[in-house]
Amino acid sequence: MKAKLVVLIAAIGVLCIPPRSIAVEMKLGSSTQYLWYNDLITEKDEDAVAQYLRLNVAKLDSAGKATITGYGRATRVFSTGEDVEGRLYYFYLNYRDLVQDVLDVKLGRHFVAIPSGSGLIDGATLDFKGIGPMGLKLLGGRDVKFVAERNEVTGEKDRMLGASLYTDAVRMTHLEASYMQRNNDGDVSRELVGAAFSTYLPGSVSVYADTKYDVLTEATAELLAGVKFSPLEKLTLKGEYYQSFPTFDATSIYSVFAVNEYTEMLVKAEYLLGNAYRISLGYAREDFNDDKDADLYEAGISARPSANFLFDVSYSVRNGYSGDLDGLRLNGTYTIGMNSVSAGMDFADYRRDSMAESEIAKKYWIGAEHKFRQNVSISARAENNENVNFARNYQGVVALNANF
Amino acid sequence: MNRKSMIVSLLLLIGLPLVALHSRNADAAKKEPHADYAQMQIKECTDCHRGAGVTPNHGADWSREHRLMAEKAGSNCADCHQQSFCLDCHVGGGIEPDLSKSISRRGDYMPRTHLADFISLHPIKANDNPQNCYRCHDAAYCFDCHSRMQKNTMNIKSHTRTQAGQQFIFTEEHAREARRNLQSCQTCHPEGNVCLPCHSAVTGFRVNPHPRNWSGGKLQSKGGDRSCRVCH
Repeated sequence: MKAKLVVLIAAIGVLCIPPRSIAVEMKLGSSTQYLWYNDLITEKDEDAVAQYLRLNVAKLDSAGKATITGYGRATRVFSTGEDVEGRLYYFYLNYRDLVQDVLDVKLGRHFVAIPSGSGLIDGATLDFKGIGPMGLKLLGGRDVKFVAERNEVTGEKDRMLGASLYTDAVRMTHLEASYMQRNNDGDVSRELVGAAFSTYLPGSVSVYADTKYDVLTEATAELLAGVKFSPLEKLTLKGEYYQSFPTFDATSIYSVFAVNEYTEMLVKAEYLLGNAYRISLGYAREDFNDDKDADLYEAGISARPSANFLFDVSYSVRNGYSGDLDGLRLNGTYTIGMNSVSAGMDFADYRRDSMAESEIAKKYWIGAEHKFRQNVSISARAENNENVNFARNYQGVVALNANF
Repeated sequence: MNRKSMIVSLLLLIGLPLVALHSRNADAAKKEPHADYAQMQIKECTDCHRGAGVTPNHGADWSREHRLMAEKAGSNCADCHQQSFCLDCHVGGGIEPDLSKSISRRGDYMPRTHLADFISLHPIKANDNPQNCYRCHDAAYCFDCHSRMQKNTMNIKSHTRTQAGQQFIFTEEHAREARRNLQSCQTCHPEGNVCLPCHSAVTGFRVNPHPRNWSGGKLQSKGGDRSCRVCH
């Protein structure tokens, strides 16, 4: 199947090459990495090399509408003695305006996202964007899965199909309804209807809503409605209502069990202090039903006090059902010419419902990057973790990066 | 769909477009391509957006907000980002050297949303919107770890440790906890075998696990009745 796909995509690529010479533009990105880390489950120190490659071939036609883009990774874990494993994240032909102002096409392995769901498919997306005031997106193909493996684990009969009908006919307003079906080993595992709406009203106000309805279990899987507005030039406020209902693949026994609805009310504020500081505050009330709830408070500062120094600090407090958590994070980067130094720390004080005592998790990291040229750099990062599982746990990565 | 959800959905899907229609000039406006602005700073984007009446985006809460923007047909994410930008978080890649990202136990990069020792924290964070995990991971991802853990090493409120493993405590809380957090049951018991001695329709105590007014017709007719046949 993989071989067929590669041949198909290669054939499409060849067909796209026009008969007369055109200056095809090619860009290649590469990152060669050495990583070391600890697998908590196997309790083994691991080290591995990874080679990432990203390819962009543009201007395949005289109008510059067709591009081929690909991205993949090969890894070799030394400590396990496994063979080289690979992930092809995407490799597709993107043909914008195959029919001028009417049809865009993507063909090959690519990421798709519509209101009823998202995923990675080996297949096609046809976007008929100019059917009067409406647009229609059709997509379908193999439902690509990696799960936790470094290789792909897609089943032969795993499929994803979707369709989305949308309109932007009203100025600054988007309305979309979509459908998605997933097949697992030949049986329908998910069938969702989604809808999304957003509009910008006078006075810098945006109103948005998004919902997913699970056809098989006949339940609203997700519903989000929110308002965002800027009463002052540098202040943005947001309020959201969200509810979700746990849904499972139809092929799972859990799809027939009674479950509770989860609801969340959220308010957030963001303020720009001068040009250098962004301050954010947030509160969410989480309701799990049966008198179980939780409160989540968040605060953060993101700053660039000088042209070559930036940092961010965030703090969150969660109390309630399933556990309590106080989390603090600090990150900063200082740049001098072609060199930069970064460092950060995480601190988490938590207590799960099932634990009598609270635990503390700490993470410290430091990193540096040197650019040989604007498009060639070497970077390194080292991290230490101290927590309930490890008194000391070092991990890190060294990467040689290039873009041509 | 319950009545509350139905009312809210109808209000959103019918009412709000009507408000928008009445408050706007009905002239269709073509979306502004953003490819020419790809190298700009977010602050410059915000300055321009404000003038056009667009509320700021890419702010402090962007990791939560971006889903709605990205799933829209005609979204302009691709004007500035390649799909690798999405997949490096969603599928665990790392071609861009982002030094603030940690590595998972599998050697994949983790999004910055994952705090220190996320393996220990995830039972708490997974409940801050239980759907969030499933945007990048499926149930098999959970089972991949949980199946390798020694069962008597896990701290689970409703389970007691025994020499042989762990034993479930059958209290009234069991039903409530399962309704609130059924996804966590699936992480260790993907086939649900432990449910069958009580919840099977043909053997044992035959306790009905279905919600009220359950029909299951569409699961049976469209889902190939695989899940039905486990108990019936």
